[in-house]
Amino acid sequence: MMRHRSRHFSKAFFAALAFAVVGVVFLPFYWAISLSLREKSEVFTVKGLGVPFVQYKPTLRHWTQELGTVEMQQALGNSLGIAAATAAVAVALGAPAAYAVARFKFRRPSNEDITLWFLSQRVLPPVATVAPLFLLIHWLGLLDTRTGLVLLNVTFNLPLVVVILRQAFLDLPVELEEAAMVDGAGHGTIFLRICLPLAAPGLAAAVLIVIAFTWNEFLFGLMIGSLHATVIPAHIAGTGSTRGPDFGFLAVRSLIAITPPVVLALLAQRYIVRGLTFGAVKG
Amino acid sequence: MRRQRHIQLLFLLPAVAWVLCFTLFPLIYSVRLSFYDARVGEPERFVGLANYATFFQDRRAWESLAITLVFVACGVTVQLVLGMALALLFNRSLPFRGVLRTLLTAPLFATPIAVGILFRTIFLAEGGLINGLLGLKVPWLSHPTLALVSVMLVDVWQWTPFCFLIFLAALQGIPEDYYEAARLETKSGWVLFRAITLPILKPTVVLVLLLRLTEAVKVLDIPYTLTGGGPHTATQVLSLYSYFVGLKDSNFGYASSISVIMLLLVTAMILVLFKRMRQVYQ
Repeated sequence: MMRHRSRHFSKAFFAALAFAVVGVVFLPFYWAISLSLREKSEVFTVKGLGVPFVQYKPTLRHWTQELGTVEMQQALGNSLGIAAATAAVAVALGAPAAYAVARFKFRRPSNEDITLWFLSQRVLPPVATVAPLFLLIHWLGLLDTRTGLVLLNVTFNLPLVVVILRQAFLDLPVELEEAAMVDGAGHGTIFLRICLPLAAPGLAAAVLIVIAFTWNEFLFGLMIGSLHATVIPAHIAGTGSTRGPDFGFLAVRSLIAITPPVVLALLAQRYIVRGLTFGAVKG
Repeated sequence: MRRQRHIQLLFLLPAVAWVLCFTLFPLIYSVRLSFYDARVGEPERFVGLANYATFFQDRRAWESLAITLVFVACGVTVQLVLGMALALLFNRSLPFRGVLRTLLTAPLFATPIAVGILFRTIFLAEGGLINGLLGLKVPWLSHPTLALVSVMLVDVWQWTPFCFLIFLAALQGIPEDYYEAARLETKSGWVLFRAITLPILKPTVVLVLLLRLTEAVKVLDIPYTLTGGGPHTATQVLSLYSYFVGLKDSNFGYASSISVIMLLLVTAMILVLFKRMRQVYQ
């Protein structure tokens, strides 16, 4: 009887703990929403958790003002376009390469070396390459263009795509391809008609992760874009110094940036582990 | 057969060529620039190892390096321990486990720049969330040590879910019967964890540690918006210092030598990571 009760108790305790942890992790998001709905005068007067409707009357003023600016709309459009284009190009180039390291046999350098070389490009610190890449984009005449930013983002994400998709192709049963080979199909046909459709979940994961990473990329967005090719992180990074301590705007701006990739993370969460461990852990 | 070989290379070449174009050039150029005195609007001048000599005498550079190492060591340790604790918690049968697990992954992809801005309002001494909730008046962002702790806390918030997810995946791969026999011997959960769980998870822990180390050394976005490297230089990590030297002071030569030193630092870690990844990929 005693033991039964203590088991019950510990079960309830751990359940409560789990809910509490998730609550704490979500607190910053909730806080941002709460701040973004307050009038400027209420930022400091509302105490504690700042529950809307209970502690203050929420307003969408900050949201409509911020989303109404030409700069924000331009940055949103640019970020979206650059992320989509980057994902498309990175997958178009990365999928065949991933297939090659997964299925073909290379001797010198070996398949593992090729994969590791791709991986090494992902691990290098971006700040180390900022000055030369800035010059390169300048020579190409692509400063302050979306094309310039797509070029750079493809470079950073292509290795990731190769490493994720390599694992996706390795997971496919090789028998189908062998059968197609016997029927006289070439590498191109097998890749396009059989493997690519079968690897669709991995492909989706790669696309989502690349979109999120590109959307979040800040340093090169700041360097390359100035007037026309502004992206969200670079656009909002100056917040605070220009507007002073206007926390409603701070909250709105960070939420505009954070929401799309967080939603993508929740959608892609089955694949995140594999993506972020470069295919090493299945998750 | 030759033709086959060519087609196979054709699969690989576009991606390799693209990455080579955009990474080999910057790398070589960075190394070259690190031997020059290069500033905007002035002719470049070869100075040999002078920039590196400057680095070794530059107190701010050493400070940045120390700050980076403290940030990485403390931050990553906390993430690993917390991530493991959470993974053990969520490996139990819980109500709504799937939903809760998904929700926990939310911080991972949150835009770091925006996260820094958001946490500025959370750490605010007056009117901020933390002090408001706890009834404190802690000067989170204006005290040098606390500012570094704040940057770490934000990094912990963002990256613990990563450690958690991987550890949970590994835990779920351990067959239950491993524990059954041991339970006859001991009832202590801690003993079971030490004797069975931890040894099995060791390769995973090493992998997560390496991935986090290589990532944390590069940290830039969060301190950029959360503290701007301040107060004074208390949170000026190496990336940030290199950024300030190169892009604010336009001293490209010196900035490049900092980059090269950073590259060497990361390369040392990468080589260890690669040894591990090679085993995984084979």
